[in-house]
Amino acid sequence: MKWYDRIATIDRRIIYVLLTVLVILPFFVKVSIPQRIMPQTQRLFDFIESIPPREKAVMISFDYTPQTQPECHPMAKALLQHCFGRDIPVIGLSFDPEAPGLAIDVLTRVNHEIDSLAADRDDSLTYGVDYVYLGWKSGRIAAQLDMGEAIAGVYPRDYFGNLIDSLPLMQRVRNYKNIAIVVIIAAADYPIDWIRYPQTRYGVKVGAGLTAVMAPQYYPFVQTGQVSGLLSGMKGAAEYEKLVLEHGYARTPGTAETGMNSQSMIHILIMIFIILGNIGYFFSRRSKKG
Amino acid sequence: MNITTDPWIWTAAILTVMIFSFLYKDNPFYKFGEHLFVGVANGYYIVYYWHNALKPNLFEPLSAGQFIYVVPLLLGLMYFARFIPRISWLVRIPIGFTIGWGAGLSIPAYFQADVLRQLEGTVVTPATFADTANGIWAIIILIGVACTLIYFFFSREHKGLLGHASRLGIIFIMIGFGASFGYTVMARVSLLIGRVQFLLGPWLGLIKQ
Repeated sequence: MKWYDRIATIDRRIIYVLLTVLVILPFFVKVSIPQRIMPQTQRLFDFIESIPPREKAVMISFDYTPQTQPECHPMAKALLQHCFGRDIPVIGLSFDPEAPGLAIDVLTRVNHEIDSLAADRDDSLTYGVDYVYLGWKSGRIAAQLDMGEAIAGVYPRDYFGNLIDSLPLMQRVRNYKNIAIVVIIAAADYPIDWIRYPQTRYGVKVGAGLTAVMAPQYYPFVQTGQVSGLLSGMKGAAEYEKLVLEHGYARTPGTAETGMNSQSMIHILIMIFIILGNIGYFFSRRSKKG
Repeated sequence: MNITTDPWIWTAAILTVMIFSFLYKDNPFYKFGEHLFVGVANGYYIVYYWHNALKPNLFEPLSAGQFIYVVPLLLGLMYFARFIPRISWLVRIPIGFTIGWGAGLSIPAYFQADVLRQLEGTVVTPATFADTANGIWAIIILIGVACTLIYFFFSREHKGLLGHASRLGIIFIMIGFGASFGYTVMARVSLLIGRVQFLLGPWLGLIKQ
């Protein structure tokens, strides 16, 4: 077998072993690959920064599934840290049936983290005052449109069974007029419904945190301003974590930032294999012609 | 190394390793993991929809005497009519209802959000050049949109100016595909990183979470 045939037919198991080594290595060997903040990530961060504290709420639609947790969970965590750090109330909800468990997990973690650092009661978070989780609802388009009239009409009770009107936060957040932005953290095509329906009818501002597979589809909406900021996959999550850390809303680096070192190394490996495969293909084709 | 004693983390870790074993070759451990996942996922969805959709949105109002809910119940049941050839035509009623509702709601919203606003984003005005870089990108977007549309214009042969524009269009399309592929690679690698973080962190206790 010629050298060019050999590099074009490397056993896939060798590639898997190399990939595994490069994923694990950055967790033990200090590798620091600088991450540049993409404009769409900065836009979302700046938008949240521009919301006055204790006025309008941020609505977060947790619509991701366990398999996309490595990309979306760090986004949700960093976004919550940012909102709570700025004293902006958060209303969570979900339209993906697999998402509520993950939403409760991230809300509880961030709540505990902030409470453990709180100097007094005012610094800690209170459910119903600082945040609310409404739970999952079927028929998302109708639900999204109806929330423009009254959130309580769609969600008479929250995820834990509390009457919506009994929660202090929900007494002042009645509909989209009291919402600064809806950020959809999703593993599927959920943000498009928010753009087509509540945004078109009520002028709701929409932001998104999406898996890398979904993100390219939304770049045209960022360009037109229909999406006020976009976090693209693990890179977007790492960038937001970095911004949140730099501005003092978090104390420790997040998991996406650590994961991005592995990500960058694997990208280099994949590029090397693509180049090798093409060289192999080019030379074997030339030898066949010759 | 601080291996966990939590049985659920051990279960998740063993199942992860079972699924990864497919990378070597297909084997009974992989098959077991795959079948278990499909079964659990189906069970989860059935129970979840029952408790969070069917029960609160249909059966509880019906049992409380709100008989208007008989209408959606009947419409839903009509979907099953396609299994009985004699009355299979009944399925057209709920399908017609869904299409009518969906089209009425979607068409104006789709035009507004996906067509008009996107067209607006493509239009180049003198204000676009307030920032030079922004202006250059706007021109590139305009050329890209026009040439891509020309590529899909099949009423005339792609020769001369039309041919050149169409070739430029295919370059823009290929760049789009390349970007999507690159992002897909990043997404898949992210999932692998997530699993490795889980195995090294909560399971083996080798890294801090």
